[in-house]
Amino acid sequence: MAAGYAWFLVLGSVFLCNLMKTLLPSISSFLTKMVQKDAEQESEMRTEIQEMKKEQSCISMMDEFARYARLERKINKMTDKLKTHVKSRTAQQAKMKWVVNIVFYILQAALMISLIWKYYSDPVTVIPSRWIAPVERLVAFPTGVAGGVGITCWLVVCNKVVTLGLSAMG
Amino acid sequence: MESVESTEENTGALSAAQRRAEIRRRKLLMNSEDRMKRIVGFAKNEPENNGASRRPTEPRFHLDLDRTEQWSSSSSSPRPSPFLPEASVFGSRSHSATPERRGSPLPGCSDSPAGSHDDDVGGVRQRPRGERASDDISGSPRRGLQKYLSRFDDAMKLRGQLANEKQPQDGGCDTEEFDPFRVFRLIGSILLAVFVRVFVCKYLSIFAPFLTLELAYMGLSKYFPKVEKKSQTTVLTAALLLSGIPGEVINRSMDTYRRMGDVFADLCAYFFTFILSNEILLFVGSETP
Repeated sequence: MAAGYAWFLVLGSVFLCNLMKTLLPSISSFLTKMVQKDAEQESEMRTEIQEMKKEQSCISMMDEFARYARLERKINKMTDKLKTHVKSRTAQQAKMKWVVNIVFYILQAALMISLIWKYYSDPVTVIPSRWIAPVERLVAFPTGVAGGVGITCWLVVCNKVVTLGLSAMG
Repeated sequence: MESVESTEENTGALSAAQRRAEIRRRKLLMNSEDRMKRIVGFAKNEPENNGASRRPTEPRFHLDLDRTEQWSSSSSSPRPSPFLPEASVFGSRSHSATPERRGSPLPGCSDSPAGSHDDDVGGVRQRPRGERASDDISGSPRRGLQKYLSRFDDAMKLRGQLANEKQPQDGGCDTEEFDPFRVFRLIGSILLAVFVRVFVCKYLSIFAPFLTLELAYMGLSKYFPKVEKKSQTTVLTAALLLSGIPGEVINRSMDTYRRMGDVFADLCAYFFTFILSNEILLFVGSETP
């Protein structure tokens, strides 16, 4: 028998999966921000460098060379520190992105397999078989119920429609 | 007399200094020439071969998917190096653009320059890309090596091209392109699905009106402005190009593939709307299938 809202359940699952897929970069960056506590330190360093540069621009290199050079060394040191910091942050971000992607695809695969498992023999919805002739067997695959809409066909259709809809909205 | 002698000594000293300066300058110039030659890719002993076997390392193969003319037009046209305007046509036919090839000159190339030019003219790189490999008159191991190396160059260039194109694609997140005709098709499919569910499906299979609609779209397509779609170099197209299939054929195949994709999208939208409207009608309870 066809579960009353099976078609809607599959549609909702596919929609959520596609929505999550589009939001993956935001999710991974959000998680990275959550994990990294020293983002403020980086911004502080940036402002400090800016200030030092501003100060350096006010100093005459000819008249106060020692002070100028000292400041220059300070700026260089701070810039190196910032570079190292940014490098490590970028590496962590890439790692987080990779982990989020892997987790998402594993969950998606699990969801799809469980849906197919659940509706392997039951069609997601049933319509008169003459309406979908001459491809009723193809549409009903793998249920074999005459006039039924099989999970595979419905998954493919939902996936395409949701992709189109999301890209039209995006 | 003394003054004359002193001026002669001065000029002698000056000329000696000038000579030294001149020698130094020439030495520097010669070094720069050597350096330039090294950059351009000449071996040190090549000037001894009357410069006949000079081979600039500039890549001379350019793959372009939009190109419609024969492959031979670009592959046979000589492209002299910008560093060597005096380079002859033979000299401009480069063998390699890769360090691997620069490091391992082909056997016999430096020994008999003239012979190597003759071989180059009849070699693999001279034949049009559309031709089959079996069209070659002879299949000597050297030709095989040349062919392999030229393909290797092409592959390296395609890799660079793909890497360049991948960056915008990553930002784009595989978005679908919506031109006006495509939007029109989708809306038409959705409206037809609703119409079929309400009026037609009792008497006819739902796919018959859809096929009619697709035929109508085929006729209508010429009345819509053609949107130039940027052909992207995918791994598949790169592989096809490297296997010797002309770009024009690949473009046509891609166009057909795109059309099939459009029809599939229409079918999905149509079927989805049909099922959705059927379920809504069932839910409302106005109708039973």
